[in-house]
Amino acid sequence: MQDISLHLLDIIENSVRAEAKLIKIRIIRDVKDNLLRLIVEDNGIGMDSQTLEKAQSPFYTSKKDREKKVGLGIPLLKQNAEATNGSFQMTSAPGFGTVLTVDFQLDHIDRMPLGNLKDTLLGVIIGHPEVDFSIKLISHEQGVEKSFYFETAAIKEELGNIPLTYPDVIEYIDQSLLEGIQNTNMEDV
Amino acid sequence: MKTLADLKKIREKAQEEMKLRGGTTRIKVVVGMGTSGIAMGAREVMKTFLEEIANRNLTDVLVTQTGEKGLSSLEPVVDIIEEGKPKITYGNMTPEKVKKVIVEHIVNGRIVSDYVVATGN
Repeated sequence: MQDISLHLLDIIENSVRAEAKLIKIRIIRDVKDNLLRLIVEDNGIGMDSQTLEKAQSPFYTSKKDREKKVGLGIPLLKQNAEATNGSFQMTSAPGFGTVLTVDFQLDHIDRMPLGNLKDTLLGVIIGHPEVDFSIKLISHEQGVEKSFYFETAAIKEELGNIPLTYPDVIEYIDQSLLEGIQNTNMEDV
Repeated sequence: MKTLADLKKIREKAQEEMKLRGGTTRIKVVVGMGTSGIAMGAREVMKTFLEEIANRNLTDVLVTQTGEKGLSSLEPVVDIIEEGKPKITYGNMTPEKVKKVIVEHIVNGRIVSDYVVATGN
């Protein structure tokens, strides 16, 4: 994975495979605390402690398990976060879902760029119409907080039986995400 | 700023169109979005489908994402599903190839055999 937004896509696909109906995504960029934090919370089937441990280690994962559950994506993300003085935390319980918190040191030379957040979010929102997404971007810079909040449930309710792949809807979601990402200075992070 | 009022307008317009044409999905596109697919550019493939659908105003195409399809060496992989026809799977997709599949297959109904890696179920 070349950037954080591709890792995010990989994590979200794990949540979808875990039958999540709601996926909450939080991205926090805090210049003063020198932190870039990613939180993904789902209400999927969750994992027991053994599976949770396996998911984080490439060494314990047999190919068969990998195809069934989570892949190399998680260990790679963990490695990438820890390489920037950051941290990686995944908590889960069967029946309650999974929460993943990944911290990167914002100005670390080895931190991968955030990348194209918009295309990741646009793809998962439209590509998984059965899942609701709650997205919050928060940026703290020079004492000013800027935030962007986007909930797909309200959009689907307003659309009724019109599919998310309807051309004008694609443009609406694309444009909304673009504005939110620009307003919270999440471009070129 | 985009508001929910904009969505209401879109819904009204779309409902009018659906009344005229019967409102069925003619063709379904499924983009494989497993870890290896993502690493090989599946997100850009998905994005290109969405962009082309919006630009060409294709109102009867549905695009979804799915997990690993067990075709790692052929990622990114895309299925085209049409009622009454065998499923077509395209492999090693790129944004350029997506544009060709949109014009040839989705708009004009001609399978792009050079990109096909599997057919049927």
